[in-house]
Amino acid sequence: MVSKSLTILNAQGFHMRPASVFAGAMAKYPCSVTIKFKGNNYDAKSTLNLIVACMKCGSEIELVCDGNQENEALAQGVQLIESGFGE
Amino acid sequence: MLKGIGVSDGIGIGNALLIEEHSLEYTPKAVENTEAEINRFNEAVDTFCKNTKKQAEALKASAGEKEAEIMIGHISIVKDPYLLGEIEKLISKGQCAESAFESMCDTFISIFSSTDDEVTKQRAADVRDVKAEVLKILLGINDVKISKAPKKTILVAKELTPSMTAEINKENIVGIVTETGSNTSHSAILAKVLEIPAVMSVPGVMEQIKNGDTVIVDGNKGDVLSSPDKAQLESYTARSKQLLQERRELEKFRGKITVSGDGERFELVCNIGKPEDAAQALEFDGEGVGLFRTEFLFMDKTSVPSEEEQFKEYKKAALILKGKPLIIRTLDIGGDKDIPYLGLAKEENPFMGFRAIRYCLKNRELFKLQLRAILRASAFGNISIMFPLITCVEELRESKALVEEIKSELRSEKIDFDENIKTGIMVETAAAGVIADVLAKESDFFSIGTNDLTGYTMACDRGNSDVSYLYSALQPSVLRMIKRTIACGKKNNIPVGMCGEAAADPMMIPLLISFGLSEFSVSAPSVLKVRKCISNWSKQKADEVAEKVMSLDTKQDIYEYLKTVI
Repeated sequence: MVSKSLTILNAQGFHMRPASVFAGAMAKYPCSVTIKFKGNNYDAKSTLNLIVACMKCGSEIELVCDGNQENEALAQGVQLIESGFGE
Repeated sequence: MLKGIGVSDGIGIGNALLIEEHSLEYTPKAVENTEAEINRFNEAVDTFCKNTKKQAEALKASAGEKEAEIMIGHISIVKDPYLLGEIEKLISKGQCAESAFESMCDTFISIFSSTDDEVTKQRAADVRDVKAEVLKILLGINDVKISKAPKKTILVAKELTPSMTAEINKENIVGIVTETGSNTSHSAILAKVLEIPAVMSVPGVMEQIKNGDTVIVDGNKGDVLSSPDKAQLESYTARSKQLLQERRELEKFRGKITVSGDGERFELVCNIGKPEDAAQALEFDGEGVGLFRTEFLFMDKTSVPSEEEQFKEYKKAALILKGKPLIIRTLDIGGDKDIPYLGLAKEENPFMGFRAIRYCLKNRELFKLQLRAILRASAFGNISIMFPLITCVEELRESKALVEEIKSELRSEKIDFDENIKTGIMVETAAAGVIADVLAKESDFFSIGTNDLTGYTMACDRGNSDVSYLYSALQPSVLRMIKRTIACGKKNNIPVGMCGEAAADPMMIPLLISFGLSEFSVSAPSVLKVRKCISNWSKQKADEVAEKVMSLDTKQDIYEYLKTVI
């Protein structure tokens, strides 16, 4: 299991487009991908779950990947969040 | 008459087409062959995705990429692995596809609606839209085809969903009325892009209007008239003609050069905030870009965008403009524009503090990165560099020295750039206006930023309602500042432009012509209006007005006088 703490940086948080981009990217990895936020766990391969989480600009989260290709999944997840989804 | 919020200008007169909400009721039944039911569900999902993709493509062509993205979002909702997994479980337990799908959608709709986050709440509407569309497919319901609506149709709906708006053909739909929605809703933005008059938030409209009724939609005022009498129909038809006439009148100026009544040539360019806006500038017939604000490149990022990233964006704008002028303003942060990762300290007085060129000259690595990206992009178009918030000549000298330093770096690295790239300044502080004679000797051009210039000259925050009465470019002090700046530029043979709101103000235009402004940089939708306005003035007439204005002592007198001449 690998994980990293991150801050959401794009102005509108995880709205529709970032959520679907992120879930789509994570779905390609066999490992499980979870976002821990405010004490809850969210399946990061699910757009709907990501929207439910209401992550905003400035929200502090932990990205956890567990299983096959966990390092690759974490690296890409971190890159997406840190780049603010190119917004 | 029904009242709502006018969200898209213009008057539309036509026949109502009511988009009734279908009853999506069904009797849930127990399923025995669960595998077949799962297949039936998956087929419906595939059909939905296929339809939606088609809509997204149509929308991309009629309204642009951003509008199409929301449809792609709908596909990602329905393809959500969590949602699909749960639905499969429910069907395996013997539920029918309709009820399994509906119950899962309802779960998310209620979760989204119960949050106190506006953006998340809006997503409930997306799920509702997806739910209705997929249920229609499962239940075999045929919709009213908006795409097949006859000419002169006024769409009347409870809510205009993205999948409905995607079907709109702007040749046939002349107006939109909805019961819900507001200025910021997706369908309102789309109506504006498509230039269809629209009124939203009209309570009870579905009960008050019947299919085929004659309806008038006044998007300017937010009025909706159903079955109007003869007099109303006549007056609105006349008004609609007048609006069209005005638009047509403006269209006559499309593709023309910008000249005054007596044939003096002016440059009429646009202010933009993103490279893609350059395309919009051209669409509205702008002759180039007089101000490209680069702040957006730095916002919503976690760190300074790399040279490569910036280069791509500047190059994109340059290529779109195909050799037309592109003035790129270097980073203007601070004041009211914060960028979290730059770690700007909170200040007592940010507008007087560490912002724009002051920040860049203290953070040279960041500044050089941007200058290098701009210089590299200059090989692909007609780019100039503009420095914001100059208050003394040293700032200009230091900035120009950096440009020279980077030029020689690029030369030694054999990277192409425009050797003759021009460097100019924003005149937006009282200090710059007063020493415009000094600055003009070392600048290739000036651009007067009237918004800040007015604020700094009057020492007035226009956001503060106690002092905002002072804020006007028609203040004698501001007009003198502008006149002086232009005169100093002319004396040194450098062009002087204006990129503030005043450049598009019909009251200011004769004064600017008289003072000798050479370039007007305005928002894209104002281009034709400004070109028309400039054509109404001869130098002699403008001089007479300017002379009178400069002899008046108060803003009020100036305003009253200008009202009588425009």
